[in-house]
Amino acid sequence: MTITTSMDDMATRTRRFWLRRDVLHVVGLWALITVAGVLFSIYVPAHLMGPPASGTMREIEATMTAFSIAASPVAAVVWAVALYSLIAWRHRGDGPPETDGPALRTSRPAAAAWILISSFLCVLLLVWGLAAMGSVASAGTTGNPMVVNVTGNQWLWTFAYPQQGGVESDQLYLPVNRPVEFHVTSVDVVHSFWIVQMGIKVDANPGEITRTAVVPDKRGTFDIRCAELCGLLHAQMETSAHVVPMAQFHKWLSANGGHP
Amino acid sequence: MEVRSTALGAAMTVIAGALVVVVTGAVLSHSSAAAPALTAKTNGTMNTAHGKLRHATLSISSYPDSMAGEHGADGGKHPDWVSYGPTTTYDLPAHALVSVTIRQYDSGERLNNPFFATVRGTVGGTMTLNGKTVSHVSPNHIGHTFTLHAAPGDQDPLFVSVPLPAVPESVKPTKGSDYPKPNVIRFSFITGGPGHYVWNCEYPCGDGYYAKFGGPMSTRGYMSGTVNVG
Amino acid sequence: MVKLGAATPVADGGGLMRRLNMGTAVAGGVGFGAVGWLVAHHFLQTDVPATSNQVVIVTMICWSIGFMAGIGAFNAPLGWLMGRDLGHEDEMFLAGKDQGVSRYFRFTTDHKVVGIQYVAVTMVLLAVGGTLAMLIRTQLSHPNNGFVSPQTYNAMVGLHGIIMVLATIIAVTGPFGNFILPIMLGARDMAFPRLNALSLWLLVCAVPLLLSAAFLGGIPTGWSAYAPLADQAGPGMNGFLMAIIVFAISSAVAGANITTTVLTMRARGMTWNRTPIFAYGTVASVGLAIPALPLFMSAQILLAVDRALGGQFYVAAGGGSAWLYEHLFWLFGHPEVYVIVLPAVVALMEITPVFARKPLYNFNAAVVGLIGIVGLSLMVWAHHMYISGWAPDLNGPFMLTTELISVPTGILFFVVIGTIWRGKIWVTVPMVAVYAMLWNFIIGGVTGIYLSDVPADVALHGSMFVTAHFHYTLMGAGLTGAIGALYYWFPKMTGRMLNQKLGMVAFLIVQVGFNVVFLGMFAAGLAGQPRRVYTYPPTFATANLISTIGAYSIGIGMLLTLYVVVSGWRHGPLAPANPWGAKTLEWAVPNPIPLANFEVPPVVIADPYGYGEGDPTTRHWAEEPQPARAAPVPAVSGSSADGEGVAP
Repeated sequence: MTITTSMDDMATRTRRFWLRRDVLHVVGLWALITVAGVLFSIYVPAHLMGPPASGTMREIEATMTAFSIAASPVAAVVWAVALYSLIAWRHRGDGPPETDGPALRTSRPAAAAWILISSFLCVLLLVWGLAAMGSVASAGTTGNPMVVNVTGNQWLWTFAYPQQGGVESDQLYLPVNRPVEFHVTSVDVVHSFWIVQMGIKVDANPGEITRTAVVPDKRGTFDIRCAELCGLLHAQMETSAHVVPMAQFHKWLSANGGHP
Repeated sequence: MEVRSTALGAAMTVIAGALVVVVTGAVLSHSSAAAPALTAKTNGTMNTAHGKLRHATLSISSYPDSMAGEHGADGGKHPDWVSYGPTTTYDLPAHALVSVTIRQYDSGERLNNPFFATVRGTVGGTMTLNGKTVSHVSPNHIGHTFTLHAAPGDQDPLFVSVPLPAVPESVKPTKGSDYPKPNVIRFSFITGGPGHYVWNCEYPCGDGYYAKFGGPMSTRGYMSGTVNVG
Repeated sequence: MVKLGAATPVADGGGLMRRLNMGTAVAGGVGFGAVGWLVAHHFLQTDVPATSNQVVIVTMICWSIGFMAGIGAFNAPLGWLMGRDLGHEDEMFLAGKDQGVSRYFRFTTDHKVVGIQYVAVTMVLLAVGGTLAMLIRTQLSHPNNGFVSPQTYNAMVGLHGIIMVLATIIAVTGPFGNFILPIMLGARDMAFPRLNALSLWLLVCAVPLLLSAAFLGGIPTGWSAYAPLADQAGPGMNGFLMAIIVFAISSAVAGANITTTVLTMRARGMTWNRTPIFAYGTVASVGLAIPALPLFMSAQILLAVDRALGGQFYVAAGGGSAWLYEHLFWLFGHPEVYVIVLPAVVALMEITPVFARKPLYNFNAAVVGLIGIVGLSLMVWAHHMYISGWAPDLNGPFMLTTELISVPTGILFFVVIGTIWRGKIWVTVPMVAVYAMLWNFIIGGVTGIYLSDVPADVALHGSMFVTAHFHYTLMGAGLTGAIGALYYWFPKMTGRMLNQKLGMVAFLIVQVGFNVVFLGMFAAGLAGQPRRVYTYPPTFATANLISTIGAYSIGIGMLLTLYVVVSGWRHGPLAPANPWGAKTLEWAVPNPIPLANFEVPPVVIADPYGYGEGDPTTRHWAEEPQPARAAPVPAVSGSSADGEGVAP
């Protein structure tokens, strides 16, 4: 194929390309799939993840929705061409087609557009991700976070509150809207400390202390699970996180021999 | 003819494949089945902080080997592994006061998490050790623990953990027995609604394995089991 | 046909060699393994875990040596040590000349035999791994299921995982990289035919090691075998680590062989821009495997030291670190994903032009995309460790490299849909596999982007979402590509056609079932169900039941596929030399393929994608343009002397 140097020629050819009947059909199909994808993105992923119990989780659900929306038109291009080709360009019959398709070898504008757009989307995702990462990282460290020591045991979590007189518990109690920092370790194998509805997770490694932080901003009982296969009863290594008003938290502390 | 033999062959292949899966599954299911459950004996009712509840008793033991548990008198595949007996599967009534007696025959050392040296989740937060009421024991001489816990979900939470202090190694077996005089631990707890729970030992007693949590600790039928409330 | 056995005239030094086969290999392995067990058992106490690990490992090493000796892998090297070399007749014997079916059970060097052997091994692995998948889904069909114990469940999950990973690593490169690739390049065999046989039989040797884990207490760690859980595990873990060590040697040998073949054995005139994309993709895949697998192997060697010799590599209390294992594992683990996916995708890229009757669109971009993926995939491993706590400050850079990989991956999609664009779409099973890949791999890719994002990964890591995501890539693209490739190349490999109608039905049942399983699993993962759990809270019951139903339909579809393949192999209609009207060189050789593939070495005059160009009635594959006998043998013929003589 010859590359046309004249800009006018190029423009004419481009216009003629977009006015082709099959191109218009594919564009229509693309628009339909994109709309379906965007609707799916808005309603499904965040809904499946459930109501968030922290700003971190809200950020994550927004990310899931945004990425799904951004991915919709891209996936739609591939699926629209695939679907349309099966409907309109299909050869029917048992043997091979008698004639070949057009010998389209390459198109520099198409390739350039594809690579530019996908690179642009990639940068967009990266910027979004870095921004979200920054805001999530600052969530628990502002103010004066309460420290909770988390220990992974095969196959239980145990919690201790060093600043509140060393209260120990098999379930996690947190005051609402108070930044909390978890210092996580393990006495045996690798576990992973996960508070599902708060969108935080960090591995519990033997001989190391890892940190994660969150501001729980919703009262209720949430799920703590182990997210790293840790042996026989990994599936049962679950407990609850209770987010309660400060007064109730203080009551719980004193009932368990601690102080506010 | 051609079509019919193809359909027949295809159907036979699917059936044969399904059979292979079913047979493999049956063998695995059978070989990994839990030992028959020990059902807590119910006897009357008791007054508790939660009102008048049914009362049930359960009596189990922890041994330094597996000659007395569910593995038979020859100890099964690993006679030298520590074990609970007579079985590791227990059935308890719902909404009841359960009184448990554990005879602990094994020696021991330090817990790797002193959390488990404290009695937790029992009535009054205490247990009796050879008749003496305690709520905490030294984490340095523990034989085993009985730690019952739950997956939260829609079932009632249940968490009970009691340390079983060690019998010193120097104590000789009693006459006519392979084991020394045991430590007798008694405690009670209140069950909620029906549910599936697990229990395991939190004292690292799988000697020779990393963190002493392999072998009997990581194999069903020795130092862990299930508790069905219902 | 020459009858085998004692009556066969025995050439110098070849007497023993001619009596070795799979039977003697198993006998050698079991025999020497038993000797190893007895000796180790005698000298080492077995009531302590570390020493019983020593006994098991010694036994397994002895099995491997005995097996490889029994198959005849050491014959030629030992011969060289004693100053003997193989004669022409020995070479012909090794190539399996005139041996009928028995050559499939020997140390045969003919790449076509090795390819078929790989098909068989892949099918065995898929059958075992698939059976385990059915049982796993049965256990998960409803919460608190008592079908199997947690211990058995964990063992099944680990075994399913590693078996399927090994099966998909070899699923395309093994069968088609060995059988088809050399013919596609116009070569008479692989560059190193004996290494080819060696890699296959090392693989066969590793399979029983892996399966032995099932009888030694299983692999309770999942396929990733994270330490120190793997330090703690029972004797089954030794089967895992020994199998990985042997498999890594096998894949290194295969990788070196395939790379050398593509670099040096291409026909005269097959310049780089006339080399089929399948050759590029296969080299990209094994090129990644060559650095990746040895890292996995070293991780397992350190694990063996920990388990058997009291090493503390992964034990924090002894100065080791769990992160060391994670790094070694993921330095292998991420490239491994592309080791699996690339050959499958390029096989489908080879299929697309044939059934769209159009040239491969933007060939150069496809090559650039492959190179980009290879380069980037070595720099992304720590995205599996965002939440490990190892180096939170490095999460940003690893997010960058991970997201960049979407650009070259996107180029591959561009090439495929560009090729489909306005084509004459001939809907066959291989072509439907292309469409299935376009659907599955997009979903696998987009969900991969969520997981590349640090905050989103924090929520999703270790959940069923991850399991669903990698099944969409490894099964949705990897295994789907392998099945498409099998339907496409089967007529060339066996000389018979597969039943397209039943094949299509089977394929669609698998694909629909597959999407049901893993869309359900995405939902469970988003809702917070962890991976590798034998039970779960009732909240996840519906999603899991849907997954289980889908899994059974995959099972039915795969069994139908098995029937189509086996019945087609036995009495399918005879295939013409080029049933699809394709232009790559493998379709230029007759059925059945002669021992040396080409009577005359071909000379390539154009690339194999010239659909719609020139007169459509002429044959399209490259032909010898001048009297054959006079043509010089391609410059690379020197290395083919390793295999067999020229046999016109």
